[in-house]
Amino acid sequence: MSKLYYDHLVVLDEVEAEIKKSTKTLEEKEELWKVVDETIHHRVMGCVLDKLPREHHEEFLHKFHKAPHDESLIDYLKEKAGENIEELIRQEIGNLAFELLQEIRGKK
Amino acid sequence: MGKLPTQTYHEIDEERIDFEFLRNKLKLKQIEAKRAFSEKYPHAINFLLEKGVQLEKIREHSARILGAGAMAGSLLLTPPSGTKALPPPHEIIEKIKAAQAAPITPPQEMLVATLTEHLPEKTRPLSREEEKYLERIFNEVVGVSARATLEGEHLNTTYGLIGAEQHLRLFPGDTIANHKPYLKEGIAPGRGAWGFFAPSKTELTADLEEKERWYAVVQTLYLPDWNKRQPYLKNWYKYRKVLMVNSKNGNAVVAAVADSGPAAWTGKHFGGSPEVMEYLGGPRYKKGPVIVFFVDDPENKIPLGPVEYNKINIAGLPVMEI
Repeated sequence: MSKLYYDHLVVLDEVEAEIKKSTKTLEEKEELWKVVDETIHHRVMGCVLDKLPREHHEEFLHKFHKAPHDESLIDYLKEKAGENIEELIRQEIGNLAFELLQEIRGKK
Repeated sequence: MGKLPTQTYHEIDEERIDFEFLRNKLKLKQIEAKRAFSEKYPHAINFLLEKGVQLEKIREHSARILGAGAMAGSLLLTPPSGTKALPPPHEIIEKIKAAQAAPITPPQEMLVATLTEHLPEKTRPLSREEEKYLERIFNEVVGVSARATLEGEHLNTTYGLIGAEQHLRLFPGDTIANHKPYLKEGIAPGRGAWGFFAPSKTELTADLEEKERWYAVVQTLYLPDWNKRQPYLKNWYKYRKVLMVNSKNGNAVVAAVADSGPAAWTGKHFGGSPEVMEYLGGPRYKKGPVIVFFVDDPENKIPLGPVEYNKINIAGLPVMEI
């Protein structure tokens, strides 16, 4: 199984459509999927640690390492960060989608 | 007058971005994200590295943890959220049998009521207990012997969101014109995970056409042992029959696995051909919750396509006939 606690917050349909249009084989498609996936992990973790007070970083990382799939991590983050972390992750992913599409479509 | 499909490929090529260009753009973005994170949070990088994990490989790490949990028989390491108490299967089956005997309550309605009552609103991997329960229900009501685990193989999730896919190319040079009546969905530019269905048009059989018509997409790429158990797994999944049940209306289809995906970051877990999606939810159905089990059909007797049990219309939820 492969699941991360924020998977349900991540929807990048337009990026997916661009990848589908540009790839001819499954290997090409999967390579690009992984590149996007890795970008998401860094952006989401950065967003989370930005909002989480420094004294809770190690505890969160420990929990994340033990159970990266556990959606109750969201509850932990909400409690410790005191913010709507789901919405912040959604916004971060929205920003990433915008940046990726700008890059892909050559508008930069 | 519109252009023939054979006259539109120039336009498709104009819209299409070169693979190398796209790869470079995405890769640069990934390097930038990694660098920015490493500079700002070196303690996080070091913490995870000390545990033997790289953030970019977190999905593999998660797969190992969940895979180990499943092998140990613990289903998930933490109890799944939204768990509802399941009644003994025989109680439900008795209810369904009674409903079948009484023409007033169609079995499909009973199935939908059962799924609504016992499945969580939000999709998630099901526990073995829940899967066993559904296996019995499907066998009794839908009339298809389906298994969440078949020959030791199990999908990452059996209850997830399905998304609409395009047609797949049957052979080199295949065009959308060969995929009537669902033309507006288009045809995927690349090949499916197992390549073309036939090496040429002359070698195409009715059976292969049927497989493309009723094809399913599952996330083989995220299976924890996908890379380790090749070519066995690739062969095992090729055209593997799956039962797909729309948990909202009970519509059910037997489909053949013919592609891998979707990407985890699409929010979807499965894909369906235009025909599969039309049958499961109608012409505007693009995404929705489904249960996906392997069909236990060693003698290859169960045909692909709609499952006959649900020809009965239930109030407010149309059953599509193609």
